Amino acid sequence: MRGQILISRCLSLLSVVFGVLLLTFLLIHLVPGDPVEVMLGESATAADSAALREELGLTQPLVIQFGTYLKKLAQGDLGQSIHTKTPITTLIQARYPATIKLALVALALGLLIGIPMGIFAALHAGHWQDFVVTIISVRFSAMPAFWLGPLLMLLLAVWLGWLPVSGMDHSTSIVLPALTLGFGLSAILTRMTRTSLLEVLNEDYIRTARAKGLSERTVIVKHALRAALLPIITIVGLQMGSLLAGTVITETIFSWDGIGRLLVESIEKRDYPITQACVLIIALSYVLINLLTDVLYRFADPRMRHA
Amino acid sequence: MKFFAYLLSLSFVLLGCTPTQPASTPATIRMAIAQAPLNLDPRYATDAASERVNRLLYERLVEFDASSKAVPALASWQQLSPLHYQFTLKHQSAFHDGQLLTAHDVKATYASFLTLPDAPHRAEFEHIARIAVVSNQVLHFYLKQPDPHFIEKLIIGILPATGIAQGHDFAHAPIGSGPLKFVRWQSALTLARVADGQQITLTEVKDPTVRVLKLLRAEVDVLQGDLPPELVGYLKSKPDITVKSHVGSNFSYLGLNMQDPVLKQLKVRQALAHAIDRQAIVRQVMVDQTRLAEAILPPEHYAGNRQLAPYAYRPLYAKQLLREAGIQLPLKLVYKTSTDAQRVRFATILQAQMAPAGIDLEIRSLDWGTFFEEIKQGQFQVYGLTWVGIKTPEIYAKAFASNATPPHGFNRGRYSDVTLDQLLLKESWPAVTQRIHQQLPYIPLWYEGQFAAYRAPVRDYAAQSDGNWDGLATIQLLK
Repeated sequence: MRGQILISRCLSLLSVVFGVLLLTFLLIHLVPGDPVEVMLGESATAADSAALREELGLTQPLVIQFGTYLKKLAQGDLGQSIHTKTPITTLIQARYPATIKLALVALALGLLIGIPMGIFAALHAGHWQDFVVTIISVRFSAMPAFWLGPLLMLLLAVWLGWLPVSGMDHSTSIVLPALTLGFGLSAILTRMTRTSLLEVLNEDYIRTARAKGLSERTVIVKHALRAALLPIITIVGLQMGSLLAGTVITETIFSWDGIGRLLVESIEKRDYPITQACVLIIALSYVLINLLTDVLYRFADPRMRHA
Repeated sequence: MKFFAYLLSLSFVLLGCTPTQPASTPATIRMAIAQAPLNLDPRYATDAASERVNRLLYERLVEFDASSKAVPALASWQQLSPLHYQFTLKHQSAFHDGQLLTAHDVKATYASFLTLPDAPHRAEFEHIARIAVVSNQVLHFYLKQPDPHFIEKLIIGILPATGIAQGHDFAHAPIGSGPLKFVRWQSALTLARVADGQQITLTEVKDPTVRVLKLLRAEVDVLQGDLPPELVGYLKSKPDITVKSHVGSNFSYLGLNMQDPVLKQLKVRQALAHAIDRQAIVRQVMVDQTRLAEAILPPEHYAGNRQLAPYAYRPLYAKQLLREAGIQLPLKLVYKTSTDAQRVRFATILQAQMAPAGIDLEIRSLDWGTFFEEIKQGQFQVYGLTWVGIKTPEIYAKAFASNATPPHGFNRGRYSDVTLDQLLLKESWPAVTQRIHQQLPYIPLWYEGQFAAYRAPVRDYAAQSDGNWDGLATIQLLK
């Protein structure tokens, strides 16, 4: 039964990926902008432009172009950059690990800050401590990366001199972009943990646990938190999907050579194959993380397991 | 209490980060740039960053003097007939791999254009009939048709013939004979000065604020251009940063669609020109040394025109001109621009300035690809752009001749003027610029000032008028 559910989820995810591929293909071919003109410039002759368009296969009907693309994709060939002729697999291999690394560190920071703050706020619900945490988390969630990033640079890099401003040259270069992403994530997790924990703390079984004379620490950690963290799995899954999709602004601000930056550069240059490959990788990451979240949820929640 | 202890320990993790000490005497000079070069093969390079790096990596047959006249660089020349030029290499140069640069390399470089279907500059050299090498120092170019601007086009960096024959990847591993040689290109591009081995790195940092912060933190040593004026002003206030400005020659303008039923009326175009307070914009929101422009080529250019009277800011007169043209006020116009923050800022200022003249400017900012495509397709009423690095008056024919509409030229406003076409054929530049200034297919704005900001131990780095990075060939460190 579980196997059937898993297969059905996988099939629906595949259809999502196919839909994303089709939509991306159509969109990037329909928006204004011609890669041939980008490559040859405005002074190119019509004959040269036509020859290059032919060479790149851009003169074929869209259906044929899409079919060719899918065929190559099935063979594991993502194509090559129109402009630099670099194999796209090489570009993805160079860029995606950086995005994964940044996403994992940002997620760790988000969890490390967000969950304890959420617990703290829930345990002091209605008091000034709760109010302070709420203010902080609302502020964090309202700070866009293009503002928070430079602010952290100014504070931690320029004024205090603890960290490098940007780039990927030092082992500590990841801290600032990860903090920029992690603060936003922690704000969501704080709010979610607080709300979830407050709900659980009002449950009868928590009252029973307290009545049994268990210590408050045991009640919170062993009974309340376990149940309260279930919705967090979903949030973490969704956020991880977003992080792996490449955090374009953060990667750009911090000169972090990840997939988000590669995607934006390819759109600017109308480098269709790179755009398609990036979207494919992002879509795959998203659906795989979603699948993983579903599976984890089933393992973590006995009600789902026996449903 | 425990929670605060937890937060404290998190802070200690941060504190524990090993600070990267800014180098006080860097062995390498580090420059942060807004856009990394895309292609270091001079036959393919079209973006500004690639062209600027290629000027340092390769030598060219000709160069331009202060008045933008072509002068000998690698070679001197003689025009033997309208279709025949002789070039003599002036000095013995060597490529960075040790091979001598000879006339065979010059021939191989220019001949390769005829066999490369995807080379952007190919069209400029299609009228070369043949190239004949007489000796290692002398070669002849034969043309199919006369081209008075042929010499000015010979600014392509010379590549080694052996590399061309072997299909060497010059785009990523260039071999030139210029003052700087290629070292490596990973996350940053590293070059070394041939004369003394001084290494220079160029690192792409897209965000202007981050470039400034990196300079303040001494993670980079030099910045040039591409900063909003307020950041330049901020850098000037820092005692350890030197900012040097230079007059610029890159021409900013408003392009008008001459097929538009409203804008095809001269009085409407004149009204637009009188509705913009350029002086105020230059004074308030532009970097130092920005000056008003009246033509694409600046006054100091040999084809420049110092006699063009500026259109003064007269909003009431502009309104009167619109009424005389039979326009019902307010005149609604759509202004297209890119999403660049500075461009959008200009658009907003123009919108405010034009309002008292009875012009209701609607701003549409589009991503660069979409914006530029729509401009080339003629899908606009008004747009704002800048001509960068223009050296030859041939630009007037390419931008305004009736037969130069895209894809045959840059006449994006579809301007058609028989009088101007005749003047262009005669190459009578004062008359050409006068006519364009009167007819206003472009509303001229300004030549934006150039600047460079650097910190010790760098000394004496100067920005150039067209924004090139030639200063890196001579940049020095304090001893």
